[in-house]
Amino acid sequence: MPLLEVKNLTKHFPIRRGILGREVGVVRAVDGVSFTLEEGETLGLVGESGCGKTTLVRSLLFLEPPTTGEVRFRGEPVTVADAQRFRRHVQIVFQDPYQSLPPRMTIGEIVADPLKIHKVGDQKTIETRVRQLLAEVGLDPARSGDYPFQFSGGQRQRVGIARALAIEPSLVLLDESVSALDVSVQAQVLNLLKDIQERRRLSYIFISHDLSVVRYMSDRIAVMYLGRIVEHGPAEDVVEKPLHPYTRALLSAVPSLRRRTATRARLRGEPPSPANPPSGCAFHTRCPLARPECAERRPELIEWLPGRQAACHFALEGTAENRRD
Amino acid sequence: MLREFGEYLRTRPFALAGVIGVVAITLIAIFAPWVAPHDPLAQDLMASFKPPAWQADGTWKYPLGTDLLGRDILSRLIYGARYSLLISVGSVLLGTAIGFITGLLAGYFGRWTDTILMRLGDIQLAFPFVLFAIAILAVSQERTWWQLVLVLGGSSWIIYARVVRSRVLTEREKDYALAARALGASRWRVLFRYILPNVWQPIPLIGMLNLGFFVIVESLLSFLGLGLTPPTPSWGTILADGRQVMMVSGWVAVFPGVAILLTVLSISLAADGLADFFDPKLTHGNFRRVPLPPAERADQDPADGAPLLRVRDLTTIFPTRKGTIRALNGVSFDLEKGSVLGVVGESGSGKSTLGLSIIQLLDAPGRVAGGEIRFDGKDLARLSNRELTAIRGKRIGMIFQDPSSSLNPVLTVGYQLKETLRRHRSLPPHQAHEAARQALSAVGIADPDRVLRAYPFQLSGGMNQRVMIALAMVSEPELLILDEPTSALDVTTQAQLLDELDGLRQRHKMSMIFITHDIALISSFADDILVMYAGHVCEIGPRDQVIDQPRHPYTRALLDAVERVAVTETSRLAAIPGDPPDLTRLPPGCPFANRCPQVMPICHQVKPRRVAVGPNHEAACHLIDSPPSAPSQYGTTAVEAGRAAPASSVVANDNRSSRGNSSLVETAEDARGTNSISSTDRGRGESNEG
Repeated sequence: MPLLEVKNLTKHFPIRRGILGREVGVVRAVDGVSFTLEEGETLGLVGESGCGKTTLVRSLLFLEPPTTGEVRFRGEPVTVADAQRFRRHVQIVFQDPYQSLPPRMTIGEIVADPLKIHKVGDQKTIETRVRQLLAEVGLDPARSGDYPFQFSGGQRQRVGIARALAIEPSLVLLDESVSALDVSVQAQVLNLLKDIQERRRLSYIFISHDLSVVRYMSDRIAVMYLGRIVEHGPAEDVVEKPLHPYTRALLSAVPSLRRRTATRARLRGEPPSPANPPSGCAFHTRCPLARPECAERRPELIEWLPGRQAACHFALEGTAENRRD
Repeated sequence: MLREFGEYLRTRPFALAGVIGVVAITLIAIFAPWVAPHDPLAQDLMASFKPPAWQADGTWKYPLGTDLLGRDILSRLIYGARYSLLISVGSVLLGTAIGFITGLLAGYFGRWTDTILMRLGDIQLAFPFVLFAIAILAVSQERTWWQLVLVLGGSSWIIYARVVRSRVLTEREKDYALAARALGASRWRVLFRYILPNVWQPIPLIGMLNLGFFVIVESLLSFLGLGLTPPTPSWGTILADGRQVMMVSGWVAVFPGVAILLTVLSISLAADGLADFFDPKLTHGNFRRVPLPPAERADQDPADGAPLLRVRDLTTIFPTRKGTIRALNGVSFDLEKGSVLGVVGESGSGKSTLGLSIIQLLDAPGRVAGGEIRFDGKDLARLSNRELTAIRGKRIGMIFQDPSSSLNPVLTVGYQLKETLRRHRSLPPHQAHEAARQALSAVGIADPDRVLRAYPFQLSGGMNQRVMIALAMVSEPELLILDEPTSALDVTTQAQLLDELDGLRQRHKMSMIFITHDIALISSFADDILVMYAGHVCEIGPRDQVIDQPRHPYTRALLDAVERVAVTETSRLAAIPGDPPDLTRLPPGCPFANRCPQVMPICHQVKPRRVAVGPNHEAACHLIDSPPSAPSQYGTTAVEAGRAAPASSVVANDNRSSRGNSSLVETAEDARGTNSISSTDRGRGESNEG
C-alpha cells in the first residue's frame, strides 16, 4: 500500500470583484494532480514560480484545504476534520531560512515546541530529544539557547529540519528547502537530508525549480506547468531523456560548468496566468514544437514508455535530436 | 543589556538628561512622605499665600510658598507627582492592555472580529473625548484616581490596537506562523507563542510618549473641574487652584506648570533615546559618507592605457558595538573596458560589500578604510560627494538582487522610466515614451506597452529585474555592477536574463562586475573570475584558467559543489564543511584554513601572499610555491608580472614556518589559542595535486 495517494487534487481560488465580492473568475492554481508515493521514496516536483507547486504542498497539509480531489494516507482518506491527526505524520521544511523560524524563540524552544504541542513526554524527555535532534542535523546541542539570528542560513535550515523531524513524521515536504542557500551550503543540506532519509526510512516530496537538485534527491520526478503535471517518470529518465519539451527547456536553463560554450534552447516569455490559461495545451504559447492542433486539444498525461508519462501530443518526437550529450 | 544602555547614554546627553529626569520624578513620587517637608493637606491659615522663599516676605519654611489655605506648595507638588504619575501610568497600562488584546484578536482572526473591533475604535476616535470624560467624571461626587485612569486609558486603546493589528497582519503571513500551524499548533498557541513575541516592540515607546501626553491631559481635566476631588493634590488640581489667584499669587500656578513641563520633557527625551537605542538605524540614518584623505603617495596614473577600473588594496570596515567587522581586507583587481568580471563567494564573503564599496553606497556604519578605487583615473574613495554624484548612476550603474525593493511601488514602470529618461537625456514627453518602449524592448520585454502601464507589484520578479536593467541602461553606464541579479529568479528566467545582459554588453561595450554565489552561473558569461573568501581574494584569473585549473582549494571546493548534474543517486554531493570565520575576529593566518581539506601548520600562522600562477592568474595559498620573481601583478610595487609558475614547483612548503622571526612566533602562539589545532598535523608533509 502506498504511503500517500493523491487523486485528482484541485485547488481553485475565486477572483472576487466589487463591493459585493461577486465571483468573476477562478485561479486554477492546482488543476487535477494525481500521484502516489511509497514508503522511503522521494518524489521530485519541478516547475517555475506560479506553476502551483507551493499551493499543492499547502493543500496536502490542509493549510489551505483542497477544493476537490482525494488524499489518502496509508490507504485512509484524509479530511479537513482529521487534518490535525494527519499532521503528526506529515511535516514541512520551508524555503526561506530567515522567515521560517520564529525570531524570538531559541532554537531549543523551536525544536521542542512540536513535542509540546503533541504532548510527547515530560520536560526531561523533551530536553533529551531536542539535544538528540540538534545533533542529528549537525548542530551543536550546546547552542540550543541561541536565537536564529546567531546562525547562518544553512544552519537555520538545519534547525527547520530538526523541527520537522521532532514528531517523527513519515513524510516530509521540502518546499524549495535549499533554494535560498549558497550552492556550497546547498550540498551540505542535501547530503544531510539523504542521510536522514536512509536512517529513518522517510518519504520526501522535494520541490524545486532547479532540475539538477531535484535529480540528485529524487527517485521519481513530476514536472508541473500551470497547475498540472506534464511529465512524470523515474528521475534518471526524466533528466537524461525528457519526453516533454518543457522539461527539456527547464534542463537547458540549469547553469553548468561543462556547457559553457554550447548555445542553450531558451524558453521565451513567462508562464501564462492560471486565471486565464491558454486553450489546448497550456504550454503551446512557449513551445518550440507547437503545431496548430496543440492550441485546440489538451493533451492528457498518458504513458508513452514503460513507467513514463507525458502530457504532449508529440512526446516521442522531440526526444531524438534533443537527447543530452 | 543594561550596561550597553549605560554606555550608549554616555554618548547621548539629551537622552541621559531625560532618563535622569524620569528616574528622579519617579523616586520623588515613591518616597514622597520622606521627601516632603510638610503634610500636603496641613493648613496654616496664618501663612496664607506666602510667596517663595527668595522673594520679600518669603520664608524657608515654605520654600515654594503656600496657597490660600497656607498649604506648602512644595509638599503638595511632591505628593501631586504621586497622583499625576499614578493616573498617567495607570492610563497607559490600561490603554495598552485593551489595545494589545483587541489588536491581536482583530489582526489574527480577521473577518468579523476585525470589522467589529476596528469599527468600535473608529467610533471611539470620532466620539468627542470631553463628552466621554464628562459622562463618567462629572456625574460622580467623589472623583478618584481610577476613574481618571478609566477615562484616559479607555479612550486611547485604539492607538495601540491599530499598531498591533497591522503588525500581526504581517507576522501571521510569515512562514514561521505557517510552520507552527503545520506542526499542529492550535490557533491560540500560534497567536501567543509565535506571533505575540514579535509584535509588542513598538508599544512601550508609544506608551512612553502617551505618558507625557496624559500628564498634560490630567491637568487639563482638573482645569475643567473634572480632575481629582479636592483636597487630594495632583499637578492638575494645584494648577487649577492657582488659576483663580493667577494675578496676585502667580507662583501657585507657575510651579505645577514647571513640574509638568519638566516631566513631559524628560519623558519625551528618554523615549527618543530608547527608540534610537532599540533601532540603531534611526541614529545612523543621517550618516554621511566621508571621503578618504588624499593619498600620501601622489601616484598619478595616466588615464590612457590604464584599465577602466583599478582597485588596489581595498579595505572596508563596519565598526559596530560588538567589534569591527572587517568586510574587505586588501582586495585588488583590474577591470578592462568591455570585459566582465565575475565575483564569486559564499554569503558573508564580502562580495556585496565589494560592489557597494566601488560605487560608494555602503550602508552606515560601513566605510572604506583604505586602498584605491581608480575609475577612469579618478579615485572614487577620495572624490567629494558632489563629484561622486556625477559618476554614480551615470557612468557606474548598480543592480541588486531584489528588484521589487529597488522600484517605487506606487509609481508605474512607465512613469519611473520616463522620469529617468527625461532627466538624463532631456527629452520632450512624446519622445520619452518612445524611448521608454525601446529601452524595454532592448532588455527583451516583448510587450513594452503593457509593462509601461503596470505597477511593479503586477509584474513578475524577472520582469521587474529587466525593468531595473533598462533603468540602469538609460544613462549608458561604462560600468554596471550586478549583485546577485538573478538569484531570486527561476532558472528559466535566469537563463533568459543572462542572454539579455550578454547582448547588452556586446552592443554597448560595457564593463560588468557580476557578483554571485554560483560559479557555474558566470562560467559562461565572465571573462575573468575573482573568488572571494572572508574579504580576501583567494584566486583571480581568466575564466578558463580558474575553472579548468583552479589553484586555490576554496575555488576547487566551489567548483565541486556546483557539479551535481553528473552526480548519481548513490554518490554524495561535494560540500564544504564548516562555516566562514567571524569577520570581527579574523584568524592571523589564511582565513580558509579551518575549512581547508589540505590545511598545513603554516596556514594557521601566516597569511598567504598572492602570487602569479599563470598569465594574469593569481592565487593566495601556501600550497603554491612562488619563485620570488613572480609576485602579484596587483601589488603596490610594479614588477614584471604574468610569468607562469611551472606546475612541478607547486609543492607544499613547510619550511616557511621555521623562517619565523619573533613576531611570527607570537602570531603562531595566537593561532594556537584561537584555532583548533587538531587538523594541523594532518596537513604536514602532504603535497597537493595542484
